[in-house]
Amino acid sequence: MEGALPRDHPAATQILKLNFFALQSQTHHNATGGKNEGLPNMPRVLVIIPAFNEAETIGAVLENLQRHAPDYDVLVVDDGSRDTTAAVAAGFAHVRLVKLPYNLGIGGAMQTGYKYALRNGYDVAVQCDADGQHPVDRIKDLVGHVLKGSADILIGSRYVADTGYSPSMSRRVGKSILSRAVDSIVGAGITDTTSGFRAANRKVIGVFAGSYPEDYPEAEALVVLHKAGLKAAELPVEMLPRQGGRTSISPKNAAYYMVKVGLAIFINVFRPNPRLSEGAR
Amino acid sequence: MPEAAQLGFQPAHRIGLLIVSLILVGLVLELVRRRMFKERYALLWLAASGFVLLIGLAPSLVVWLARLLHVQYLTVFFALSFVFLLGLVLSFSVVISHLSDRNRELAQEVGLLEQRMRRLEQPDDG
Repeated sequence: MEGALPRDHPAATQILKLNFFALQSQTHHNATGGKNEGLPNMPRVLVIIPAFNEAETIGAVLENLQRHAPDYDVLVVDDGSRDTTAAVAAGFAHVRLVKLPYNLGIGGAMQTGYKYALRNGYDVAVQCDADGQHPVDRIKDLVGHVLKGSADILIGSRYVADTGYSPSMSRRVGKSILSRAVDSIVGAGITDTTSGFRAANRKVIGVFAGSYPEDYPEAEALVVLHKAGLKAAELPVEMLPRQGGRTSISPKNAAYYMVKVGLAIFINVFRPNPRLSEGAR
Repeated sequence: MPEAAQLGFQPAHRIGLLIVSLILVGLVLELVRRRMFKERYALLWLAASGFVLLIGLAPSLVVWLARLLHVQYLTVFFALSFVFLLGLVLSFSVVISHLSDRNRELAQEVGLLEQRMRRLEQPDDG
């Protein structure tokens, strides 16, 4: 199966970028659709950023996106934050903001983004954290590989090569057990199944809009895709230390996390394949 | 019922059973009357309270089962209650899961619709 991909810069994204600048003035801040709406040859990319109480860090992430991926649409899904997350996001004129009426958890928030991507006809959806851990400047590499058709979903992985990320011992052990369990089912040689830095094509968008796991969804989502017959690959990236806020996985929750995800993955194997809800509503 | 006494059944128990079953039937009927149940739960509880009333009126049924299984009559009573409640709790878990799925979908729709509405009202704003 697909292993780690070389760290090259696909030509597709370069062309896309040039086209964008040529046409930017006439399509900027379009009321109904994306920045590059109405251009049949141009793939439309949506960066989904689920955020729950991330007011401290989300501003910097959105600024980085503006700088490194100005031709991609950005959707912030505010998952019922009690801080000023929504206000910060609303301060960026180009950012689309969906405010969930109450907290659904990361799975429910992410799926909202996939539903948005499906209904608004995006070709590629990128998952990115609001805490600043994900290297925004590598998004184009992920998207480029998806557009090239290297795989249906591209995962930015911490463990493929010697990257700067160094998690605690217990977390590393936990995640490697989990990754191995998932990979034994998926069989794509994925080393970092818990990474939430991903780019997905239209097929994946269709699957996730219809069915996405609820809490700690990353690993389980790969099993769902595998059952749908879709292909995953990973690209080494350097994760950054989180810029603020707290991790969603406290030591107290770690045991629950392992059991829950383990069980969910096990159960998923016996489930019928998810349906592809291509072109819904 | 000499055998019934051996299985722990005292004539006084019958009065207790009747009282409990009558209270349950009365309570269920009142809740149905006030429409505090969905129909399917009303039916379920009516059947359950009817069953308890039946036992209250004819405890020989339970005694017969107890003799068959070589246990005290009260054990049969508890075993039946346990199976019924287990089934009920399982069905509630299914119902709650279903409701929480719908709840999530509803919240997502509200969020997406609200975003769309905001964009339509203010075309120049994100």
